[in-house]
Amino acid sequence: MKLAKYTKFREENFGGVLFETRSEKVYSLNPTAAAIVREIVPGIDEQGIVERLRARFEDGGGALEAEVKAYLGSLRQLGLLED
Amino acid sequence: MTPPEAKTVAPAQDAPGASTGSSDLRAPLYVAWQVTNECNLACLHCIEESGPGKAFRDELDDSEVFEVLRQLMEGEVPYLSFSGGEPMIHQRFFDMVEYVCSRGGQLKIETNGHYLTGENCQRLAELGVKAVQVSMDGASRETFNKMRVRGDFDVALAGIRRLHAAGVPIEINYSPTRFNMHEIGAAVDLAHELGAYSFYTGRTMYTGNAVKTWRLLEPAEAQYETYFATLRAKTDEYRGRMRVYYHEMGLLEELRYRLQNPAALLIVLPNGLVKLLNALPFVCGDFRRESLSDIWARFQRGWEDQRVRQFVDDLATDPNKTSALHQWVTL
Repeated sequence: MKLAKYTKFREENFGGVLFETRSEKVYSLNPTAAAIVREIVPGIDEQGIVERLRARFEDGGGALEAEVKAYLGSLRQLGLLED
Repeated sequence: MTPPEAKTVAPAQDAPGASTGSSDLRAPLYVAWQVTNECNLACLHCIEESGPGKAFRDELDDSEVFEVLRQLMEGEVPYLSFSGGEPMIHQRFFDMVEYVCSRGGQLKIETNGHYLTGENCQRLAELGVKAVQVSMDGASRETFNKMRVRGDFDVALAGIRRLHAAGVPIEINYSPTRFNMHEIGAAVDLAHELGAYSFYTGRTMYTGNAVKTWRLLEPAEAQYETYFATLRAKTDEYRGRMRVYYHEMGLLEELRYRLQNPAALLIVLPNGLVKLLNALPFVCGDFRRESLSDIWARFQRGWEDQRVRQFVDDLATDPNKTSALHQWVTL
């Protein structure tokens, strides 16, 4: 799993941005979303991302794993993530 | 935990980051760098007044060029373009491309297509440029060669075919005039045949060389209506195969939009000066004297400057103000 070829990530004070340079679309990321993408960049897999986030965020009701999965799905749907 | 969310904050525009709230960003998202004003062609409509012997006397030297590149890469600017003039004329062109691409920057080259030899296309492919955008202002030799003085339709066409053979992503740019607008449908078809993944066009600006040649170029509004109707149809025809981008908005509307939504974009001139926008005369920085972060801060303030708002307001009553975009005003 990695960011798509033409997708660039940059951290910002508000979280981060994903910039898809072929369509020239910019996606604004909140801090949690940025935390997930930060783990994607060095090649951490889905389970690894969940574990790392559990160490940083409170996993109320065990929803974190599902949320990460859903988020990665939305990135794939937008063409920002590839396997 | 807050559910993660990705949202589109800017529609696809020629200037990415158009609606990002650029003041929230710590650096630009896009730097469009005119690396030289020298050009092998002398196009009728050139907004930069480029041409043979038109290099600025004070263009950045090698060490200054690479100092700017260092700052852009360290500042994590994700997307750059090199244009001109003709960027491939620059004596360090391939070194500059390599510098950006090897550091993970995404780079677009905007060229007239006359230096796209097999060897050069192969190098561009190996270096991993994001795209090469070639200006093709005509679907025939007759219109292309009329517009692109000293240019040759067949040379550009052969260059694009070599890009495609090398596997370099291709974009085509088309500037409309009264004598080439009727070819727009054929031009879009040709772009697709050549393997382009994007086609860009809009309205030709009354500035640069176009000020002197406007009587030859100026399209009638009725021509524009037909032009954009054709583009709407072509957009549908090529959906999913090639993106057709066109901007129907006139310059005044565009600038009014930008005043409210400055793009996260710096325009760097060959001498290191930085403009707010190509279609404005205002300079908000100088890479010879200032750092990227200082220039970025000045850029933010620049968009709030009353002189910028006044220029846009005045444009409503005097559209010819664009004829003086090269008389820079430092903010």
